[in-house]
Amino acid sequence: MSRDYTRFTMSQRLQHIFMFVPFIILVLTGFPIKFPESEFWSVVMSAAGGIEKARVIHRFAAAVMILDFAFHILYLGYNLYKKRPSLADMHLVPNGRDGKNIIENMKYFLFLSDERPRFHRFSYIEKFDYWAVFWGMFIMAGSGIILWFPVLFSKFLPGIVIQIAYIAHSDEAMLALLAIIIWHFYNVHFNPRIWPANKVWYKGTLSEEEMEHEHPLELEEIKAREEASK
Amino acid sequence: MPATIYRHSILVLLLVMLTALSAPAQQADAENCNLCHSLALLGIATPSDGLRSFEVTAEAYSHSTHRNVICRDCHTDINVFPHPEEVATVECYKACHITKPFALTGYSHAEQADAHAISAHGFNSEYSAEKNEAKPDCKYCHSNTFRNIIKDEVLESNSQHCARCHEGDGLAGVILHVSSHSGHRTAEASIDVVELCSSCHADQGHMKQFDVNLTQVSGYERHFHGKALKRGMNEVANCMDCHRNHLNLPADDPNSSIHPNNIQQTCSSNAYCHSDATAKFAVSAIHSEPTTQNNPILFFVEWGFIILTAGTMALLFAHIFLDFGRWVGDIWMRRKEK
Repeated sequence: MSRDYTRFTMSQRLQHIFMFVPFIILVLTGFPIKFPESEFWSVVMSAAGGIEKARVIHRFAAAVMILDFAFHILYLGYNLYKKRPSLADMHLVPNGRDGKNIIENMKYFLFLSDERPRFHRFSYIEKFDYWAVFWGMFIMAGSGIILWFPVLFSKFLPGIVIQIAYIAHSDEAMLALLAIIIWHFYNVHFNPRIWPANKVWYKGTLSEEEMEHEHPLELEEIKAREEASK
Repeated sequence: MPATIYRHSILVLLLVMLTALSAPAQQADAENCNLCHSLALLGIATPSDGLRSFEVTAEAYSHSTHRNVICRDCHTDINVFPHPEEVATVECYKACHITKPFALTGYSHAEQADAHAISAHGFNSEYSAEKNEAKPDCKYCHSNTFRNIIKDEVLESNSQHCARCHEGDGLAGVILHVSSHSGHRTAEASIDVVELCSSCHADQGHMKQFDVNLTQVSGYERHFHGKALKRGMNEVANCMDCHRNHLNLPADDPNSSIHPNNIQQTCSSNAYCHSDATAKFAVSAIHSEPTTQNNPILFFVEWGFIILTAGTMALLFAHIFLDFGRWVGDIWMRRKEK
């Protein structure tokens, strides 16, 4: 019997959408300024309506993204307070199993083993994505807000902080874009085992088959729990 | 009778054509210099200069800033005909017949020439003749090709720049300057100013002979001002906005607009810029490339990000290739089994 397993709630799916839509807009309005001589980004810049409009759009999209992240922090805090989960139930926290999984996966990749690592709710790949965005948000939003109000921040921070913010914003943006279009897109689209796309971001569920393939350990636990409660 | 009409009409047509052809060049040519100087082949050949043309094309002259100045206002020592063989070069600071609006004094560029003379671009007695020659004079920046490009859209989008130099002159000064530029139909786009300054300052070979920062232009281009300007944001600062237009002084000169004591004033000097700039904000706006000497913190932050990005992407790429390799390998092995 095939059934669907809820992976992301409606709130979580919306949080993802309110993260990636501003992300795309921020890339399209930011990179033309990072690469002012690039022909490709010139086309994007004119589509955005020129630099003056792009700067306004960039800040609006940034505000949406920051609010989304702020909501996520509150959401985390609320759930931690209300559910008081044990460390084992906080599935995104890196743990010893990740190290074990990495070694197993390397062995699998190098044909030293035919067993794929059995992932729990979140594989080390997914944990990396989550924490990369978490770190990236602090760098990008922090430096972005400083560059938005440089004079204000210079009243209580040393001048070097503005210069660091300028470099950090530009370089971390590059890292984020590369990580998304190469790493994240491979893992959720271009990976031949996933192609053409992992639909969980809008469906919110995985089929039994997908669960068995991607999260067998979690599936096992769910089934064991259901067995026990019968 | 028809023959006479025919003959007359040819005469009229000829007159009209002559008038039309000569009109532009005649505007300030009260002394009819262009009677000879419009001739394409007018010139001399000397052993030192080679061929030298004295042709003044009507097109160039009538579109130049100085089209209303009569020739001898600048070419002051040409008083006899035929002209003497040796004549002095034109000096921009000499007063000419044009009077300043609302004033009776002759107009001259003496104020600008004086500022230039004491600026970093002025004559330095400690320098050799060649080294002084290598610095820009009035005509290097204010050449006709540069000044005379008529760009209406540029004029409109750059009028905010006028206020930066003419703040002390009050509203009247701004109006005078804007009307003068509109009348002359000349204006430099910020991007042209950067290009002009870069024609020397980006040339490392040329600049090495002077004791200056060699990464000024590349530093400006990596800074927000330089990038935004290339993307058409005209209100960002170009070279002249911070370094002044004629009184370009090195940073260690206490009168310099970029001296540490004055830089805050420079950044905040008008409402278009950072009118509330703090001292800490002002010193952060440097635009040299960071090195271990001039800005070690920034240097290491920058390299930190390069290493972080390269390292992260190398690991992620390796993971992707290994993952993909295993998938391809599985297909290959399954085929072999069949």
